[in-house]
Amino acid sequence: MLVNVPGPWSPFLGRLALSEIPYTNPILAPLFVVVVLSGIALVAGITYYGKWGYLWKEWFTTVDHKKLGIMYIILGLVMLFRGFIDGLMMRTQQLLGDGPGDNGIKVMGAIHGYLTPFHFGQIYSAHGLIMILLAATPLLVGIMNIVVPLQIGARDMAYPYLNALGLWITTAAVVLIMASLFVGDFSHNGWFGYAPIFELSYSPGVGVDYWIWTLELVALGTTLGSINFLATVVKMRAPGMTWSRLPVFTWSAVSANIIALTSFPCLQVALALVGADRYLGTHFFTAGFGGNLMLYTNLFWLWGHPEVYFVILPAFGMLSEIIPAFSEKPIFGYTAMVLATFAIAGVSWIVWLHHFFTMGMGPYVSTEFSIATMLVGIPTGVKVFNWAFTMYKGRITMSAAMLWAIGALFLLLIGGLTGMMLSIPAINYMVHNSVFVVAHFHMMLLCIVYAVFGAVIFWFPKIFGFRLSEIWGKIMFWLFTTGTALVFFPMFMLGFMGETRRLDWPFNPQWAGWFAVQEVGIAVYCLSVLAFLWMLYASIRDRAQNRVHSCDAWNTSRSLEWLTDTPVPFYNFAMVPNINARDEVAWRREHGFAETQPNHFKAIHMPNNTGVALYIGAMTFLVGFGLTWRIWWLTAAALIIAVLLMIYRSNKGDSGYVISAETMAELDRASKTAMIASSKQPVHQGGGFSGGTVHAYSPLSSSARNGTPPTDSRQL
Amino acid sequence: MSHGHSDPLHHPEVQMASKRNYLTGFIVASLLMFAATILVSGHVLPPFALLLAIIGCAGLAIIAQVYFLLHIDISEHNIWNTVALVMFIPLFVITIGLTWWMFSQLYLRTMPMIPGMPGMH
Amino acid sequence: MHAHDKVVDPKQVVLWSDDYEGHDVISTRTFGFWMYVLSDGMLFATIFAAYGVLSYSHSYYTGPTPAQFVAPWYTFIQTMALFLSVLAYGFAMTALKQGNKTGVINAIIASMVLGVIFLGLDIHDVLRMISMGVIPEVSGGLSAFYALTQVHAAHIFVGLLWMLVMLYQILRQGFSEDVVGRLLSLRMFWQFQAVMWVFIYVFVYLWGYLS
Repeated sequence: MLVNVPGPWSPFLGRLALSEIPYTNPILAPLFVVVVLSGIALVAGITYYGKWGYLWKEWFTTVDHKKLGIMYIILGLVMLFRGFIDGLMMRTQQLLGDGPGDNGIKVMGAIHGYLTPFHFGQIYSAHGLIMILLAATPLLVGIMNIVVPLQIGARDMAYPYLNALGLWITTAAVVLIMASLFVGDFSHNGWFGYAPIFELSYSPGVGVDYWIWTLELVALGTTLGSINFLATVVKMRAPGMTWSRLPVFTWSAVSANIIALTSFPCLQVALALVGADRYLGTHFFTAGFGGNLMLYTNLFWLWGHPEVYFVILPAFGMLSEIIPAFSEKPIFGYTAMVLATFAIAGVSWIVWLHHFFTMGMGPYVSTEFSIATMLVGIPTGVKVFNWAFTMYKGRITMSAAMLWAIGALFLLLIGGLTGMMLSIPAINYMVHNSVFVVAHFHMMLLCIVYAVFGAVIFWFPKIFGFRLSEIWGKIMFWLFTTGTALVFFPMFMLGFMGETRRLDWPFNPQWAGWFAVQEVGIAVYCLSVLAFLWMLYASIRDRAQNRVHSCDAWNTSRSLEWLTDTPVPFYNFAMVPNINARDEVAWRREHGFAETQPNHFKAIHMPNNTGVALYIGAMTFLVGFGLTWRIWWLTAAALIIAVLLMIYRSNKGDSGYVISAETMAELDRASKTAMIASSKQPVHQGGGFSGGTVHAYSPLSSSARNGTPPTDSRQL
Repeated sequence: MSHGHSDPLHHPEVQMASKRNYLTGFIVASLLMFAATILVSGHVLPPFALLLAIIGCAGLAIIAQVYFLLHIDISEHNIWNTVALVMFIPLFVITIGLTWWMFSQLYLRTMPMIPGMPGMH
Repeated sequence: MHAHDKVVDPKQVVLWSDDYEGHDVISTRTFGFWMYVLSDGMLFATIFAAYGVLSYSHSYYTGPTPAQFVAPWYTFIQTMALFLSVLAYGFAMTALKQGNKTGVINAIIASMVLGVIFLGLDIHDVLRMISMGVIPEVSGGLSAFYALTQVHAAHIFVGLLWMLVMLYQILRQGFSEDVVGRLLSLRMFWQFQAVMWVFIYVFVYLWGYLS
């Protein structure tokens, strides 16, 4: 059954050999040294400060939705940076490689620019895959993870252990794609893959295998997460939190996760069939033997288009929280907003063919998909008008988060209108595969990035207890926006000038001017990355000034997450609130209940930490790595160990622990005291750190905090 | 996360098990599959009618199984399961139906039935 | 929407949920599992879509078509084994309703035996087809045929493994909340395999035999 691979193979190491390590590559070899050195420095630092136990107990084994969310966001930001570096390399290649003739820098054997076509292919493939699935998706899942349980008044997600499992499987996917940098190659077929180039006969290396198993792992992790979100919202809403009172962000999380739950299996099947072709010699997507190469494209976009809305809908939800809070008005047209969200989610399922209008299936099919695509514009338009009317006659505060939200609206407008152009098959035939399309979807994805930065600034104080630096948030916004304009507006022009996507050699010298503008844009983007890092540094340095002393960090917030203490204690709500209105916090503020606190408490039940999820995640990485290099013993062993771990965990179970009502009263008092008292800490002027330690959240110290059950809690 | 400590066996989802329903579901589905097998193995109908007949058998067998075995109804404890299923069914239809339509149109244009072409039965 | 138009009596308003007992653990578990089962259905639907595209006459290239190797009555016996296994699992559920531990264990063992028979018949059938030269490497159509039938068989294998684990847990822990929740989830998983089998039997085996 198994296909013989070209090249050497040994039972012990599979296709892995020393020659697969690109130690002669003048980009990767120094990078590898840098990565190893910083890795050693990190390990040494953690060991020196004795933080391993803390990391293990508080982070690696945690099942707390807030900490898992923070780790998702860190993962997403790191991968956003990696994807950005890929983008920078592509821009530079096109700038250097533009023009006729041999203009290559010969260090790596390039004839045009400084990268070979094979290397360039790997970079754009990795860029697309990383940005969509390993940057945007973890960022959004992370924010949903933190906010959704708080917005519905739950103590945690429905399945805390499954939540941890989702994170660690996603991390395994990240590690796998990062491994492809230094061990072997990555796929050079674009992030969505082309049939039949990814077949073994045309792509004999391991790159496509890395691509398959990275996608499979991230699909698995996201599906598990979506089940968890839906069960949480359906089953764990606080009393009084009826469907008509659900915050809009939670609604958008529901619709997005419905999409994820229903569409990710399609991706898993599409990729598994590619795997079958490459490993077992089947003929699903071959160009002969009864296979059908367009079937792959169909199955991929069957997932791919719903996935696009899986990432955009939570971003819409974030805008729907940020804009009302900084306009001091409730969201305009709540019902229309929710219906529009679900309309987009529904239509997302009948538009996927517009990714391959040029397949040749004739006018009837094209017409249906064209009209369906245009329909998306209606609910999206409703949303844009609702946000605009929310701001209309509102008391608008131009805070950093609000700037990002308004920026997102402009990008949505440009991306949406160019999307409407692309939905017309006649136009689509002309610009198909041009960088006009690339510029269009970058507008949409940057709309998500803008919303995410806004959301991070908006919800940061809720989790960490202090606000991010407003001024640096705004500086970063303007730098980032300048970069966006300089990189992507020229890209629209280049599309009209006939540049097709993924050119390692843009031969036309007339494009050179626009490439130069884009390169300047990338440089400005680099500055915005520095501004982001400085924003983090400055905010942590000045956290004493930026400390939040009340539950509501912005004093104009509306939904339930702002009802509990800042930073959020590990149990979320000392007493589960009873919901009286949509926008409960605003309602309590307007009726004078903002200061009312529960005067009695009940015992609560919390889950224990577990390391099993991390171990299973590690095993899924080994399964992916073993399959990529065809090391069968490793694959089988890791798979069996993963199953045994699941059975072990299932047999052991976790009955959690109970915190008594008295302890809860004490914890709540301590949490409130810390929140208010931190205002009395001395505000240190000048350099250096001040303002006490940075807690992830939960102001309590030592054993009563976070992952470790309080000393007098009862194990079940 | 607190929950009552009542006996899990008294949970309504345990209590809704019913021997009569499971038997009915089994008998109905088995008879329909038996009928479909007889129709097909004997070629007793013209091809298109046969196709419709077995599609009917499959549809009824699935409805019987979903109703009698999987407890998909609108009672209080099953309503969310029903809602989830109702949400999924159009997607199943879209996935298979639109794909099939798209490719049948494609084949019309790209796979002409040339006599003597390999694999054309 | 503007609730502040109404006067709210501070003495009447309920701000904290004193009587809230938390969510129902068992039904939260089964609902989540039902959503997994439906996404599994989507997995099958996608393979069915692939099968639909790859079951034209040209999809079989010059190789055999299902009409040449499908044996309807053999597969009907497989169908009955699976349906009976699902029925036996149903009896495990009715025994669970009465808290009858022996009844549950016996019914699950019966269900497992029938599941093993189903899987054995499937493996025997695959071996027969391989001996006839009907292998997935021959054509896209046969690749799709094998993908659908063997993905279903893999689900049956996982279900059998799960039953084994449940037998152990029933003996070790009795009918705890976790065990009961898992038994209910396994019920949905197992019954769903029968539903999927109806599709596969009618649209892959029987329809293939017709074409």
